[in-house]
Amino acid sequence: MELPEATRVHLTVGLQEPPWTSQRRHFSALIPKKEDGKKRVWEQSQLLDVLEARIQQLQSDVIVDVQHEKVQFVKASKAGIGDSSGNSPKNVFGERPEVPKAGQTISKGGGQTGKGEGKDASASKSRWMEKLSQEKKTKTKKLKQKLGLEDKPVKSSKGKLMLPGTSHKTISTKAGIKTASTVKKSKSLKNQEHTMAASKHKHTMAAAPVAAANVPIRKAKGKGKASKEPAPELSEARNRAEEMERKAEAKARELAEVEELERKLNQWAVSARPELVQDNSEARVYGDVQRSVRCYLEACVFCGDIDRAHRFLLSHHRMVSRRNLLNIGLYNIMMRVWAKKGSLNQIGRMFILIEEAGLKPNLGSYCAALECMGRNPDCSPHLINRVLRQMEEDGLPVDELFSHCVFRQDERDMVLRAIHTVQPDFQSSINTILQTCSSPLVKDFYTERADAKYPKMAFSLEELQERFSRQLSIEQASTITIHSVEAMKPVTSHMAKMRDLLAVQRLVWHKALVGALREGKIILASSTQKAVRLSLYPYLCLLDEKDYVDIMIQSLSNLPPSGESLHILAKELGNRVHNMFCIRMKGHNQMVDKLSHIYNEYTELLAKDSKEFDVLPRERWWKLEAEHSSGPSLLGDETHWPHMVVVELGTYLVDLMVKHMKVNSDLLNSAYDRKLIPVLYHMYTFRSNKQVGFIKPHPILTQMQQDAMDTTLTFDSYVMPMLCPPVPWTSAKFGAYLLTPTKMMRAVEGANQHEILLEKCQDADLHAVLDSLNQLGNAAWRINQPLLDIIISIFNDKGSEKLDVPPPNSEAPKIPRYNQQDSATFTSAEKAHLKREVVNAKKKCSEMHSLRMDALYKLSIANHMRDEVFWFPHNMDFRGRTYPCPPYFNHLGSDVTRAVLVFAEGKPLGPGGLEWLKIHLVNLTGLKKRSSLAGRLEYANSIMDDILDSADNPLIGKKWWQNADEPWQTLACCMEIANAVRSPDPTHFISHFPVHQDGSCNGLQHYAALGRDVIGATSVNLIPCEVPQDVYSGVAQQVEEFRVRDAEKGLKIAQVLEGFISRKVVKQTVMTVVYGVTRYGGRLQIEKRLKEIDDFPKEYVWDASHYLVHQVFSSLKEMFTGTREIQDWLTESARLISKSGSTVEWVTPLGLPIIQPYHRSRTQMLKATIQYLSFQITHDSKERPDTVKQKNAFPPNFIHSLDSTHMMLTALYCYSAGLTFVSVHDCFWTHAITVDTMNKVCREQFVALHSQPILQELSNFLLKKYCSGLQSEVKSKKFLEYQRMLLLLAKVPQTGNFDLQRVKESTYFFS
Amino acid sequence: EVGKMKGECFRPLGRYDFLDLGEVEENTQRAQLCRTIKRFIIDPALAKLVTHHLGPDLEDSKAVIFECNPGPGVLTRTLLNSGAQRVVTLEGEKSFLPDLQALECLLDGQLEVVHCDFFKLDPMGRGSMRPPAMYTDKLFTDLGISEANWTDEVPVKVVGIFPQRIERSQLWKLLYVLFDRLSIYRYGRVELNMFISEKEYLKLMAKPGDMLNYRAFGALWQMACHIELLHKEPWASFVTSSKYKLAIPKSRLPNDNLCLVRMTPRKDLFSASLTPSNAATLVMMVKQCLAKRKARLVDRLNMWSPDSGPKLLKEMGMQEDVLTGHVYPEEYKQLFELVDKSQEFTQSWLYEEVLENTQKEGWI
Repeated sequence: MELPEATRVHLTVGLQEPPWTSQRRHFSALIPKKEDGKKRVWEQSQLLDVLEARIQQLQSDVIVDVQHEKVQFVKASKAGIGDSSGNSPKNVFGERPEVPKAGQTISKGGGQTGKGEGKDASASKSRWMEKLSQEKKTKTKKLKQKLGLEDKPVKSSKGKLMLPGTSHKTISTKAGIKTASTVKKSKSLKNQEHTMAASKHKHTMAAAPVAAANVPIRKAKGKGKASKEPAPELSEARNRAEEMERKAEAKARELAEVEELERKLNQWAVSARPELVQDNSEARVYGDVQRSVRCYLEACVFCGDIDRAHRFLLSHHRMVSRRNLLNIGLYNIMMRVWAKKGSLNQIGRMFILIEEAGLKPNLGSYCAALECMGRNPDCSPHLINRVLRQMEEDGLPVDELFSHCVFRQDERDMVLRAIHTVQPDFQSSINTILQTCSSPLVKDFYTERADAKYPKMAFSLEELQERFSRQLSIEQASTITIHSVEAMKPVTSHMAKMRDLLAVQRLVWHKALVGALREGKIILASSTQKAVRLSLYPYLCLLDEKDYVDIMIQSLSNLPPSGESLHILAKELGNRVHNMFCIRMKGHNQMVDKLSHIYNEYTELLAKDSKEFDVLPRERWWKLEAEHSSGPSLLGDETHWPHMVVVELGTYLVDLMVKHMKVNSDLLNSAYDRKLIPVLYHMYTFRSNKQVGFIKPHPILTQMQQDAMDTTLTFDSYVMPMLCPPVPWTSAKFGAYLLTPTKMMRAVEGANQHEILLEKCQDADLHAVLDSLNQLGNAAWRINQPLLDIIISIFNDKGSEKLDVPPPNSEAPKIPRYNQQDSATFTSAEKAHLKREVVNAKKKCSEMHSLRMDALYKLSIANHMRDEVFWFPHNMDFRGRTYPCPPYFNHLGSDVTRAVLVFAEGKPLGPGGLEWLKIHLVNLTGLKKRSSLAGRLEYANSIMDDILDSADNPLIGKKWWQNADEPWQTLACCMEIANAVRSPDPTHFISHFPVHQDGSCNGLQHYAALGRDVIGATSVNLIPCEVPQDVYSGVAQQVEEFRVRDAEKGLKIAQVLEGFISRKVVKQTVMTVVYGVTRYGGRLQIEKRLKEIDDFPKEYVWDASHYLVHQVFSSLKEMFTGTREIQDWLTESARLISKSGSTVEWVTPLGLPIIQPYHRSRTQMLKATIQYLSFQITHDSKERPDTVKQKNAFPPNFIHSLDSTHMMLTALYCYSAGLTFVSVHDCFWTHAITVDTMNKVCREQFVALHSQPILQELSNFLLKKYCSGLQSEVKSKKFLEYQRMLLLLAKVPQTGNFDLQRVKESTYFFS
Repeated sequence: EVGKMKGECFRPLGRYDFLDLGEVEENTQRAQLCRTIKRFIIDPALAKLVTHHLGPDLEDSKAVIFECNPGPGVLTRTLLNSGAQRVVTLEGEKSFLPDLQALECLLDGQLEVVHCDFFKLDPMGRGSMRPPAMYTDKLFTDLGISEANWTDEVPVKVVGIFPQRIERSQLWKLLYVLFDRLSIYRYGRVELNMFISEKEYLKLMAKPGDMLNYRAFGALWQMACHIELLHKEPWASFVTSSKYKLAIPKSRLPNDNLCLVRMTPRKDLFSASLTPSNAATLVMMVKQCLAKRKARLVDRLNMWSPDSGPKLLKEMGMQEDVLTGHVYPEEYKQLFELVDKSQEFTQSWLYEEVLENTQKEGWI
C-alpha cells in the first residue's frame, strides 16, 4: 500500500490542471439514514438461530465433530463484539510497518487479538463498559445543555482549542469528552498511556490536559443538576427524554469514533509522502483532446507530412483557447522531428513556443535538443553546456534522460554524442539495483532462491531461436492466412466454379477500392479545412493503399449473412489499421534487430542446453536490456488511438466499401437483368426505439461465399498462439507478443484509468503480478491430434449439438416463406404464427452461423498448429484475472478446445499419476460429486471396460463418454488412461495430459475465509471432511425443506415442484449469488433449468422459477451469514464512496491497483458521411461515478481480485517448485505427477493470503483514500455524510472462529 | 350508493335513472390507492367532456365502447348516464373490480366488466397467460363480437389513457397490428379515443418538412388513420395513483397537456395492391426512408433496386432531388404500390427483411 513515488515526466504538467478534489465538489451527494444499531442486533440474533439450526444439520450429517466447543466459542466472542470494534483500529495501526516506534508498543496490546481475543475480552469489556457508562452520563448532560440548562462559554472556548477551524459545536464538545475518556483509560493501562503521550499530534496533546482538567468540573456540575432533576414529571415526557438520550448517546458514540478515526487519519497523513496531494490530478494529463492531437501529430510525422504537423501545432498554439489544451508532450513531438532534421533553429523556436505557452521543458524536450546538437558535428560545446546547465536548473539530472526517455532509431547515440563533446567520459549509470516487491506474501519467493527449481523448457537454444524468427516474421506480416478445416472436404465442380467467381470478383473490388481510396485521399488532402480541424488524411497515409484495401476485402469474409452493425464493423477495420501501423512503426524505429538480439540471449534462461539461472524471466530480460542499452528502446511509446479516431477511420473505409464494391446482378442467375448492384448495403434496424446502422451483405454475396466454402481464413497475427515463448512482461507496458502491441490490463475501449493507475505504481510492486503472468505464458502446449481428428470429422459431417460441435448452415431450419397469393387462404391467427416462425427461424440461423464460424476458427487454428509447440501470452482484466491473449483458440475455451490441448512437455506418471488421471476422469463426467477421492477412484476402476471401449471405439462403440458433463475432455482422458494402462509400466508412462483441480465454489471459499465463518467454511470444503461437501446439494436440500413446508400449507406451486428440486436447478444461481446476481437474473437462470426438464409442466415455469429463486436466496441467507455481512459491508462502502463522488479503488494483497471504471454515461456523436454514430461512454472518469454499478460490482470484483491473487501466488510458488502450471481462473492445471505438489502449494498460499488482514487493510486503504484531507469542509450536510462514510469504512465486519490452518489438510478444498 | 349494495342485485336500473358519480374526494383517494402508477379521470366535468366527444348520439351508436382502466368508474357512470348502449370496462387492477361488478349487476347488460388490461393484450412475453393479460380472440369471443370487414362501420370505440412509460411502444405495437390487421384490428376498424402526451401527439402529427419530428412513426399513423385532436387537458386535471408525482417527460416539443386524440383507421387503407400481407414491407420501407430525413429519396430507391429510382420518381411526378423528409404519407403509400408492382424490385433485399421486435413486448 505504498504510495507511488514515481515523479513522471508529465507530472509537472498535471499540476497545472485544477486538482481532482475541486472537481469532486461539484457533486452534491445525498446519503439516506439507516438504523445501524438495530439492524446489527437483529442480525446477530438471526445469526445465532441460523448457526444452531445449521449445527444440528451438520451433526446429523457425516461430520459429527464439527465442534460443539467451537459453537460455544462463537457465542462467547459475540459477547465481546463491542470490544473489538474499539480495539481493532489500534491493532491495525500497530501492524503497519512504516509507523514509527510509538505504534509498535501498541501492537503488543492489540496485535495479538487474533489469537488471544478470548483472554483479554473480559478486561477490555470492563473498560468498554466503563467508557459507555461515562458517555451515558455526559450525554445526559448534553441533553440538558440543549434544553438550555447549562451555560456554554466553557465549551466554546474549549472547542476552539480542540479543533482549530472547526465551528461545529457538538463535535468539539464530544471531542473533549472523548479525549478525556481516553486519557482516563490510558491511565489504567500504563503502556498505553505511554504511547498516547508519544503520539505526535500536537492538537491532541494540547487538548488532552485541558479536557482532562475540565471534565471533573463539568461532571460535578452535571451531577448537581441531575440530582435536582428527578422532578414529578409525566412518564411520557420521561420516556421521550430517555429516547432522546439514547439517540444522543448513540450519536455521541459515533462522534467519538469519528474523532478517533480522524486522529488516526491525521497520523497517516503525516507519515504519508507528499505525493499524496498530487494523487488523482494526473488523471487529466492524457485527456481526450491531448490524445487525439498527439495521435494526429504522430501520424503526420510517421507518414512524413511534417509540414502538416507543424502547421497544426502552430494553429493550435496561436489560439489561446486551444493553446491551453496543449501539453509539453505535444511540443516535444515536433521538437523530435526537428532534431532528426538537425535543425537547431527550429529547436530554438520550439523552446520559445513552449515558454509562450507557459509550459516547462521536460526531459523529452532536452533530449530532443541534445539529439539535434549531436547530429550537428559543428555545434558549439558552449550551446550544449547551456542546455545541460538549464537542465540542472530545472532539476532534471542528465542520468534520467537515459532511464526515462524512450529512444527511437539512433536517438540515444546522438544524445550521447552531444554530451560527450562536453563531458567526454560521461557514462549513463542506469540504476541496476532491482527492487523487490514489498508484499510479505512473496517475500520468500524473491529472497529464498537457493531451493528454487525454476523449470527449463524441453528445447535447445537453437530451436528456441529458430522459433523466435518464425514468430517474428509472422508478426511482421501482421496477418496470417491459414487453411480452414473445411478445406478437407472434397471440392465439387460447383464449389470450384464459385471459388473462381469469387476470386475474380475480389480482383475487381480490389482495383475499384484502390482507385476510390486514392481519389478520396486527394479530396481530403486538398480540402480547404481549417488547419485546426483533425482530418482523417494522415491516418490514410500510414500504410500502402494496397494494405487498406486488403483489410477491407478481408473483412468481407468475416461478415455474417445477417449483417453487422456499422459501429462494430468500423471498429474492427480501424483497429486492424492501428495494429498494422504499430508494427510498421516498430520496424521504422529499427528496434527489431535489437529485439532479436536480446531475445536470443534471453533464451539461455529457458533452453535445456544452457546453464541454470537463479533469476526469473523478467529479471533476466531486464538485465539484458540494461546491458544492451545502446540503440532504440524496445518499449514503444506509441499512443493508443482514441476510440473515436478508430471508428471514424473505420466508417470511412466502410463507406468506401458500400459505395464502390459492386457485382453484376445476373452473376448467379442469368435470368435476371444485368445491373451493377452494390455488394453491401447500409440500412437501419430498430431496437427499442433506437435505430442502429447496419451493414448487410447482398444475398448474392452470401450465396457466393457459402457455396464457395472458402478454404482459407485470414487472421491478424495475434489471433494465433505464439511459436516461441512470449516476451516476459517487464513493466505494465512491455511484454507478450514480439511486435503486436498488447495491454497488460484489458479495458473497455477508451478507458485509460487503469493505465494511469498502473503507471503511478512503483515498478517493484507489480513484480509479482508480472512474474505470474510470465509464468502462465511460458507454459508450452501442443495439439492432441487423435482427438482433433475426431472432432473435425464430426464438424465436417453434420456436426452434433449434443457434443457441442456446431452443425453447418445446411442443417439450419429453412426460413418459411409465404407469398401474397397463398396468404389469402390463411386466417390471421395462422399468419401471426407464420410470422413468428419466420422470425424464430432467422434468429436460429444467425445463432447457428455465429456458433459455426466460432468453431471453424478454433478448429482451423488448432489444425494449423497440429504439429507445432506453441505458447499463449497472458494478460489480465482490471481485477487481475488472467486470460490468454489469443482470442479464439485457447485453454479457457469450451470443452472442445480444452480437449484438443495438452502440455507440450511430457512427464512420467510416477507412483500416483495414474490414479490422478482416473480421478480426473470421474471429475470430468460430473458423476460422483459427493464421493471421496477413494470412492471416485473405485468407480473409475469399476468402469474400466467402458473407459477402454470409449478410447478404442469413440464413435462406434458404447459411447460411454458422450454422456459425460465434458464429453470431449472425458474422451481425451479415456485415451490417455488406455495408453497408460497398456504401457509396460504405467509409472514410467510419459503423460502430457493436464489434470485439473477445481475450487469448490471458489467465491464462497474466499468469503468464508475472509469471515472465518465456520459454517460457511465447512460447506465449501475449507475444513477437512471425509467426503466433499457440496454447497449446491446443501442449498437444494434446504430449498426442498422449505418446499415441503409450503406444500403442506397448501401452496400450489410448492406441490407442483415436488420431485423437481435438484442440485442442477439451483447450482448456477448459488454460484452466481456470490458474484452479485440479482433475483431477476437468478429467476431467468432457474427458468432455463426448469425448461430443460421435459416432465415439468411448462405452464408453471414462470411461477416455479419465481418461487424457487426466492427460496434459494433465503437458504443462502441462512447458510452464509458471515458472507452476507461482508458482502453488505462492501456494497455499502462502495455506495457511500460513490455517492461522495469518488470511484472505488483498492489494491490487491499482491500490490495490483484496481479501479472500477463505471461512470454515468455520456453521449458522443461521430458525424460520418455514411451515418451519424452516437456512442454511450460509461467509463469516462470525468463523469460522476455510476453508484448502482459501483456498489453492485464491488463485492464480486473484490472477490475476483482475491481469487486472482490466490492464483498468482500459486503460480509463483509452483514455478519455484519447477511445476508446469496453468489456470482457468479457479481451476488449476498441472501434470498428473505434480498434482500433489500443486495441491500443497495451492492450500499453503490460500492460508498465507488469508492470514493477511485483508479486510482491515482494505478498510485502511479506503479510509486513507477517501477520508483524509476532507475534514476541513465542515458544511453540515456534507460533514454528516463524510462522518457516515468514515464510520462505515472503519467498521470492518466481525470474523468468526474458523481456524484457517485447517485448509492445509482439506482434501476437497480444490479437487 | 353503489358500494353498499355489493353482492346483491336489486331491480335493474332503468335507463333514465342517473348513477351517482360519488364524491370527488373519495374517488381521488381510491384512485391513489391503486398499486400501479396510472392516471385516472376523476373530475366529473372532464368525464362529461370526454363522453361528449365520444359521439353526439351515444344512444343510437351501435359501436361498443371499451373503457380502459376506469378505476373508480367516474367516466363509466358518465357514459352510462349519457345513454351509452354498451360499455365494456377493461380493468387491469383487481382492487377496482368489485365495485365495477356491483355496478354491472345493477344494470341490464349496458355494462360488462372484464378483468383485462387493454395494454397487455396479446403479449409476447414468457409469463403465464392470466388476467389481466389476455388474447384478443378470447376477449372478443367472450363478448360475442365477431370479425368484420374493413369497410364496415366502426365496431368498437376504445377510450382511455396511455400509460406514460409505455406510451410510445404501445403506439408502435398498435401500428404494427393495424397494418397486419391482427389483434384488435381483426375485428374491423377499431377507433381509438385516447389521451396521449402532447409531445407524442405533435410527433404523431408532424408534417413533411419538419425534419426533426417527421418520422416513420407519424408518417405511418397518418397514412393509416384519420387523426383528430378532440381536446387538450392539462396534466394536473388527472389523478395519479402514486405518492410521488409522476414526472412529466421533458421534451423539446411543448408538453403541457394530455391530448384526447381520435384515430380512426381509413376505410381505403387496404386496396388491391396494399394488403395486410405485404404491408410489413411498406412499414419497412418507410422506416428505412425516414431514418435519415435529409437523404435523397432517389438514393434510397436505387439502393433497393439500382437505377429504378429516377423511373419511379418520374412516375410519381416528383423532383429527382426530393428528400425523404419531404414526402407525404400518402405519397409513400403510392410509391410502395408502384414498387410492389414493378418487376425490378422482386430481387430486392427489401422483401427479404423481416421486421423483428427486439423489445419482447407488444407486436410480433
